[in-house]
Amino acid sequence: MTFAVEAKGIVKIYEGRVRALDGVDLTVKAGDAFTLLGPNGAGKTTLMRILTTQLRPTSGEARIFGLDVVKKGAEVRKVMNYVPQEMSVWTDVSGYENLLIYAKIYGIPANIRKKTIGEALEVMGLSAIAKNLVRTYSGGMIRRLEIASALLIKPKVLFLDEPTIGLDPSARKAVWEKILSFKKEYGITVFFNTHYMDEADLYSDEVAIIDRGKIVKTGTADELKHSIRVEFIHFGLKSQSINEEVLRKVRTLSTVSNVMVQGQELTVTVENAETSLAGIIDVLRGEGVDIEKISTTKPSMDDVFLKYAGTILSSGTGIREVRQVRRIIKKG
Amino acid sequence: MMKDSLRAMFAMMELELRRLGHDRTEIYTRAIQPILWLVVYGTVMSSIRAIPTGGIPYLDYITAGVLLQSTIFVSVFYGLTIVWERETGVLKKLLVAPVPRFATVIGKCIASGVRSIFQAVIIVPAAMLLGVKFVVDPIYLLLAILLLFFISGGFAAISVIIASFMKTRERFMGIGQAIIMPLFFGSSALYPVKMMPGILRHLAALNPLTYAVDAVRGLVISGDVSHLARDSAAIIIFDVLMFAVASLTFRKVIE
Repeated sequence: MTFAVEAKGIVKIYEGRVRALDGVDLTVKAGDAFTLLGPNGAGKTTLMRILTTQLRPTSGEARIFGLDVVKKGAEVRKVMNYVPQEMSVWTDVSGYENLLIYAKIYGIPANIRKKTIGEALEVMGLSAIAKNLVRTYSGGMIRRLEIASALLIKPKVLFLDEPTIGLDPSARKAVWEKILSFKKEYGITVFFNTHYMDEADLYSDEVAIIDRGKIVKTGTADELKHSIRVEFIHFGLKSQSINEEVLRKVRTLSTVSNVMVQGQELTVTVENAETSLAGIIDVLRGEGVDIEKISTTKPSMDDVFLKYAGTILSSGTGIREVRQVRRIIKKG
Repeated sequence: MMKDSLRAMFAMMELELRRLGHDRTEIYTRAIQPILWLVVYGTVMSSIRAIPTGGIPYLDYITAGVLLQSTIFVSVFYGLTIVWERETGVLKKLLVAPVPRFATVIGKCIASGVRSIFQAVIIVPAAMLLGVKFVVDPIYLLLAILLLFFISGGFAAISVIIASFMKTRERFMGIGQAIIMPLFFGSSALYPVKMMPGILRHLAALNPLTYAVDAVRGLVISGDVSHLARDSAAIIIFDVLMFAVASLTFRKVIE
């Protein structure tokens, strides 16, 4: 079977000392949405630039639908398209003109050019503002225009580097809805980088976690969550009637891996909530703790990430880049 | 591949035209300096009559030089857009387009010619108002415009080469200035090459601007086109050489 993307032992060393990628192996099935999830500086962008033939790997090899990215660069560029993290449209012409120039560069025949551009604008919900100068667009509109330009050639693989960075939640959602509807319609493979946990969770068929230049774990979002073998039981307490002694007793249960109290809520971390709940309740009741309500939760991608990459990612880490992107947009 | 390349180059020129269609302010503001050269420097120096111009009024003599100066200003700083597009994602995006890389580089360079032509053309009426007499021959004028277009591409390529090494805008600005002025003064733009001291005369013979000024002056001012073949050959060699080097150094811009 030919994979949409296949990388083997990719190493990239910048200027002979910075080891950005340290042996990356991954495969992406055709038609999947694949997320590369990782903190800033983990090597996400470097890997994407290698896969899109912009950079050569120091060692290792990668193929897009069986085509080697180094040896068959020209052919690879015909089957994929890419939206970089930074702004990639000209702000001093209109949205339509941007697509027109890209369509000409991509070699879309003159007789279907107008139709192709019209469709791309329509799919991305930009038809109404197509004649306006791009500098009047919002960040979300610019992103949608960039994706529209990448969709002009109906690529087999679409690479998106942090597609929603710097966008507000509603713009993020709009961008994703457009990407997914297009993916569904044309069956393209989407490979995207992100550091937003929720995007990896919601929009991808498969997730690979990258940390310090290495893939540390791969699987579907559910597989990853199951793989960390963690669930949480939350006890709502009537009063703050809990003392150190009780906590110590709960902690000594063989099924419990962590106990945390926050206000009137006691959170117990276990491997399996269903089988360990009874034992914990016995201990609490035995100590005279009044339980008002009980709920259980599955782990989130944050928990998965914490486990495999050893750091927690919050949306707050993106603020530096958000500023950077904003600055670029403003200047353009 | 050739077809892909030409297509991409024409698309980049079209982009430049469309940009000018939306906003021409820069063309006007950039015209101020060359017009000052004509109005202030030109009129003052022509009253002295110290420079042998071969019978042409001094103002007419420097008009070709000023046209070229404004052209290379445009094209050298146009290379700056490569640095700028490197900072944004446009360059990355062009690199993954199904177009040979050299076509991207050369396309960017010759697109500067589009801007240069508009820049030069706006100076012509100003010069006419000052009494400069142009050769009235549409073919000569067309050839002059073509020459301006091609020499502009070569200078834009120089600027791409510089941009490959100077990756920030600030550094680039300094170098840009440091290149334009010596080329301008080291050519026949303001005075005949034979007035220069020995060593400068040899350098002027290597200066592509010397040939471009000579050709444009012949076509639009003096009507003497006896050097046109030599000058055009010099410009073509210069362009090919610069395009080749720029295509090679361009790798550095993206890494």
